[in-house]
Amino acid sequence: MDESDAGSVDRRGFIKGAAAGALAAGSPGVLHAQDHQDMPSDPALRVKALESVLVEKGLVESAALDVLVDTFENRVGPRNGAQVVARAWVDPAYKQRLLDDGTAAMAEFGFSGWQGEKLTVVENTPTVHNVIVCTLCSCYPWPLLGLAPTWYKSDAYRARTVVDPRGVLRELGLQVSDEIEVRVWDSNAASRYLVLPERPEGTDSLSEEQLAALVSRDAMIGVAKVESTVDGDAP
Amino acid sequence: MNGIHDMGGMQGMGEIGYEENAPMFHADWEIRVQALHAASGSFRGGPLRPTVEQIPAAEYLRMSYYERWLTALIERLVQAGVVTREEIEQSRAARALEQTIAPVTPENAADWLLRTPQTERQTQVAARFAIDDRVRGRNIHPAGHTRMPRYTRLRTGNVERDRGVFALPDSEGDEPRLQHVYLVRFAARELWGETAHARDSVRIDMWEDYLEPA
Repeated sequence: MDESDAGSVDRRGFIKGAAAGALAAGSPGVLHAQDHQDMPSDPALRVKALESVLVEKGLVESAALDVLVDTFENRVGPRNGAQVVARAWVDPAYKQRLLDDGTAAMAEFGFSGWQGEKLTVVENTPTVHNVIVCTLCSCYPWPLLGLAPTWYKSDAYRARTVVDPRGVLRELGLQVSDEIEVRVWDSNAASRYLVLPERPEGTDSLSEEQLAALVSRDAMIGVAKVESTVDGDAP
Repeated sequence: MNGIHDMGGMQGMGEIGYEENAPMFHADWEIRVQALHAASGSFRGGPLRPTVEQIPAAEYLRMSYYERWLTALIERLVQAGVVTREEIEQSRAARALEQTIAPVTPENAADWLLRTPQTERQTQVAARFAIDDRVRGRNIHPAGHTRMPRYTRLRTGNVERDRGVFALPDSEGDEPRLQHVYLVRFAARELWGETAHARDSVRIDMWEDYLEPA
């Protein structure tokens, strides 16, 4: 995750405060070591408490939070990314625009938003495989992929992908041959990244919409390939 | 800072926990944290990421992803004087805010989330490096927030693109320092030694202050 709203951050005196907040999360033995350590240890209860207080103070409306939840769940997400990928597969001019300026090209579909600035689309080819990670946190192209899955934000994925990308990919079920170059993109700054996967063979007859249905989120992160379902489709 | 969050290259961090077609979140409270984070932009007094990074390492590792953000969000709101710990404990507001802040409403909530931010600055700033320049990660250890992962320190790479001008995140809270951000390519063997694959590489966007000529 990242935020685009710049603002001043006062770090003075924080360490103690952070520790207090962290302890409130429920470390046994130290929970009552200081005053005000009685915040609910269950995060679900703490979120509820925080929401109640903010609503009471007139800072947010619960209905506004519902709208945000709905937006995260339904208006951003990998279906957006899949449409962009399918268009790039069928329309070479669009593909070029996408590779040149991802943010402008996704805007052609009306896709925009937080984590969408400077979108950089990197293309998988028969000789290059791309994979995305954020080692410092959880940077991820929200407008096209929605919120990142838990595994993408796991400590192990963040730690290992830069040092052992082939091992990580193998563990996730993708064998990359020695002849192929693996490019790891550590997205930490202003850019967010999306992998343009290779179009699978045997899909010449599919429509753009049918192609989009094949494109998985994991392929757009670069930990999977897009598979044609032509063979395995029939029940 | 050389914090636990700076994980690139570490080993022994446990399982990735990969799930095919993993859901975006596992419990309702998780997405509520996300929504509160999104809704608090106008009154939390700054970005949360530096605050997440200040969570003590042992606690950070024990917490789930959304617990980290919730802890940081509460911490920031307490620091900003918006809420007190007692209020969270009691789940009740003890006093009204002194200043009026326009609330996030159902009408404007989504618009804000769906607007692409503009953090790139249009200011003209001289670029110290050009495409194809050889650059080295500087041996710096800032005590606060930075976007320079430690694995890039003292490693040599090539500038592949100039991303434009952005405020250096390390200077948050001070006068923003505007400088170019460069996409730098590091060969995997330069970063990780002989056992890395000869063809592989890591690419990362880096602010000018993180780099020196090689």
